[in-house]
Amino acid sequence: MLTSLQSINLAATKALALAASAQAGQAGPTPPTFWMPKGASTIAPGVDHTLDVINWICYFFFALVVVLTAVFAVKYRHRKGERFGSDHPHHNTPLELFWTIVPTILVIGIFVVGFRSYLDIYTAPKNAFDIKVTAQKWAWSFQYPNGAQSDDLYVPAGKPVRLVLRSSDVLHSLYIPDFRVKRDIVPGRYTYAWFQCDYPTGMPGKDVRDPNAKTVEGALDAAQAHALFCTEYCGTGHSKMNRYVYVLDEASFNQWMVDQSQWIDKIPEEELYFKAGPKIFGRCVQCHSLDGSNGIGPSWKGIVDRVKAYPFVGEGKKYATYQDYIRTSILAPGDYVVPPYANAMPTFKGQLNDKAIDAVIGYMEHLDEFDPKTGKYLKADAAK
Amino acid sequence: MTTVPLPTSGPIRDTIEARPESDNYLTHTRGVLSWIFTLDHKRIGVMYMWSVLGSFLLGGIFALLVRTELLTPGPTITEDANTYNQWFTLHGAIMVFLVIIPSIPAALGNIILPIMLGAKDVAFPRLNLFSYYLWVCGAVLCVLSLAMGGFDTGWTFYTPYSTTTTAGGVIPVLTAAFILGFSSIFTGLNFVVTVHKLRPPGMTWFKMPLFLWALYATAIIQVLATPVLGITLLLLIVERTVNIGIFNPTMGGDPVLYQHFFWFYSHPAVYIMILPAMGIISEIIAINSHRSIFGYRFIAFSSIAIAMFSFIVWGHHMFTSGQSALMNTLFSAISFSVAIPSAVKVFNWVATLYKGAVSLTTPMWYALAFLFLFTIGGLTGLPLATLSTDVHLHDTYYVVAHFHYVMMGSALIAMVGGLHHWWPKIFGRMYDERLGTVACWIIFIGFNVTFFTQFMLGSQGMPRRYYDYQPEYQVYHVISTIGSYIMAFGFTLTAVSLFGSFFNGRKAPANPWGGRSLEWQCASPPPFDNFAKTPRVGDCYDFSVVHWDEKTGGYWVDESAEQKGSHA
Repeated sequence: MLTSLQSINLAATKALALAASAQAGQAGPTPPTFWMPKGASTIAPGVDHTLDVINWICYFFFALVVVLTAVFAVKYRHRKGERFGSDHPHHNTPLELFWTIVPTILVIGIFVVGFRSYLDIYTAPKNAFDIKVTAQKWAWSFQYPNGAQSDDLYVPAGKPVRLVLRSSDVLHSLYIPDFRVKRDIVPGRYTYAWFQCDYPTGMPGKDVRDPNAKTVEGALDAAQAHALFCTEYCGTGHSKMNRYVYVLDEASFNQWMVDQSQWIDKIPEEELYFKAGPKIFGRCVQCHSLDGSNGIGPSWKGIVDRVKAYPFVGEGKKYATYQDYIRTSILAPGDYVVPPYANAMPTFKGQLNDKAIDAVIGYMEHLDEFDPKTGKYLKADAAK
Repeated sequence: MTTVPLPTSGPIRDTIEARPESDNYLTHTRGVLSWIFTLDHKRIGVMYMWSVLGSFLLGGIFALLVRTELLTPGPTITEDANTYNQWFTLHGAIMVFLVIIPSIPAALGNIILPIMLGAKDVAFPRLNLFSYYLWVCGAVLCVLSLAMGGFDTGWTFYTPYSTTTTAGGVIPVLTAAFILGFSSIFTGLNFVVTVHKLRPPGMTWFKMPLFLWALYATAIIQVLATPVLGITLLLLIVERTVNIGIFNPTMGGDPVLYQHFFWFYSHPAVYIMILPAMGIISEIIAINSHRSIFGYRFIAFSSIAIAMFSFIVWGHHMFTSGQSALMNTLFSAISFSVAIPSAVKVFNWVATLYKGAVSLTTPMWYALAFLFLFTIGGLTGLPLATLSTDVHLHDTYYVVAHFHYVMMGSALIAMVGGLHHWWPKIFGRMYDERLGTVACWIIFIGFNVTFFTQFMLGSQGMPRRYYDYQPEYQVYHVISTIGSYIMAFGFTLTAVSLFGSFFNGRKAPANPWGGRSLEWQCASPPPFDNFAKTPRVGDCYDFSVVHWDEKTGGYWVDESAEQKGSHA
């Protein structure tokens, strides 16, 4: 049995290799099948192959059970008036040993196939490129070695990438279906995931993400980009913790990393609030609105006036100015929570620098210059 | 009320035969108080049954709300993700703790186990009543927690979310689950002692019907595993109320430790749900095939094997949680061991049909549905026990579909099958079998439409517990939701057929299906204390001495033929 399994294994590997060479002309992810989404990482073919082996065993036994049940139920159905006999087997030890031993051998085989492909998933190559990932209720933050930060994941093509995962509040789990990669993110410890994708997806178009959109829509060439989900239940915004993975060829990736690390520095102070503000707000939209509707946190509409009116802001109070309070709320949100809101906000310490916080405060001060529904800068059209 | 002194010598007076024919456990005493303070296992079982069915209705309503919300991406019937989170949490908690765990052992088991065994009651009738009231306390607290702010933790109460969420109903529901745990422990304890101590002469271990083996194996898990859940929930309450860091890392705790504790109970709990279901299926298939069950000892021992393996496979819920690779490998290997006794059981059931005389009664249709659904549920466990494929499938709808095939498609379908099987015995009325069979088919079709789609949904990458989803998954969700409506219709028809029996059902004969186990020897409904005299134990799977009786519309057992026969 084991040998026949191995031969299935071998045959399928050959078939895969053939398919791969046939596709060599137009290299790309494996196409989606009835069961699996497209496979874009180096480990995907191994996982898919394992599932195929198991599935064929399942189809066989399912068919066996259902067909035999149906045949027996029809053939031996009770006819009216028929006496119940006793000329049937009560047990048959060889037969029962046979159907105990065969499944035993099969599951050992399945275990071995699954274990082999698991070792590939588990062990990151030594030369892997490290990206730090912080998960929090309810956003992702990806940090690159040069200090760049992004909300979507950008990775170089053709290079193993290791994600160093940490959570700043509860359990999360990082899942990229197209890469067959999943790893829980446990507060209080680091976990790792790794993958290698050889096929670039290209960059997303400019300004495609509507900062006020409630879901990540497929506008960003979704056919190419890879979805990234949170798969460990983490509360209200659990299903909004979905982002995209962009795979760039190495040169564009390096250029992107440089641009990304400097994007806010390049913006002149006077343009900061309408250029950087909406972009940063994209990380706040899960909990804060621009139109006055209540979310998990207070709406930003009129927030400057409301903050000024808080009893702990003003001369001689805990915070001298409203800027002080807003800054503290970003870096240490629990310090002064305003009822009825719960202490639910994670800290953005280390993720937003001084200039970014200036941009947020400026954005709050000039909210009337933005469309409260879409968050678009209204004066941009006027200027044209 | 005067007390009649017990006769001190001579034969015990045959009290049952002295009573009028209409006297049974339902009519023996009257009034609400006679139910509230009853110590009769059958009445306690009936009270459990109505309570469990009521909870099933409630849990089912939440399931339909969840499915309806998922008809479209984004908001469908609620604007608030929190409301949705509370729905699926309630659906899970109610179905697991209030419905499936007590459904077969506490409801059907309580009614059937002592009669099937040949006993007058369980070993500790007062403890039995106490465990029912514990269940009621737990259920009331669970519903009250809704009024106290609800809970949005998922039925698994994973930390640190469960210790930090602001929902007000978390502590009440944890307390509820704690109390329900004790209810389950006491029932298990009662059954273990009953099976050990109250078997009549002749009822040796290997003469016991397989349903009793299954209940016995279940009871052992209940007694051994449930205390771990109790302590775990208590620790969670302690952490939430007085901030002692056990699971929360900001206080020095470890969230993965909670998962170990939780699954150490909750994985065996899966077998608390499925083992008694397998017992029911063994009974229904043997009786409706009117032939001896194939491989009695293999089935009996596979129950015990499953009960034992169930304690050492919990880590397969945690392959992606940060458990070490070595642990994952070991747990994966051991998990496969459960597949073997499960497969053995399925093969034995199929072999029991061979050369039988199969009557396609309503309970038999449920048993055949079980075979189909359990085979799918069991086989889809293989990719989940396999390391590399589980990484992809874990926490997606694939897992949701898998455990619904096992918990609902198998455990609950068997429970409904068992309800149909013993309904005539319990209430003394036959239901409309045609309607019952049609309802079974509709549930079966609805079930597969609902949950088979979810296998594809999950393996395509849709994570579970999502209020909102990417538009490309919508087509699967729509099909699944339609399936759930079909199922709801099927269950409504089932209710109509069963309740209809009270109004226009014919009087049930003592033995409507041709069973040999002892519960078919006493009248339908059974008399107050089950047996007038110690019942004679025969071969419970020898149907060659069972004959149809046109007059009563039921079967009778030719005991003299059996005595003459060579069955020892």
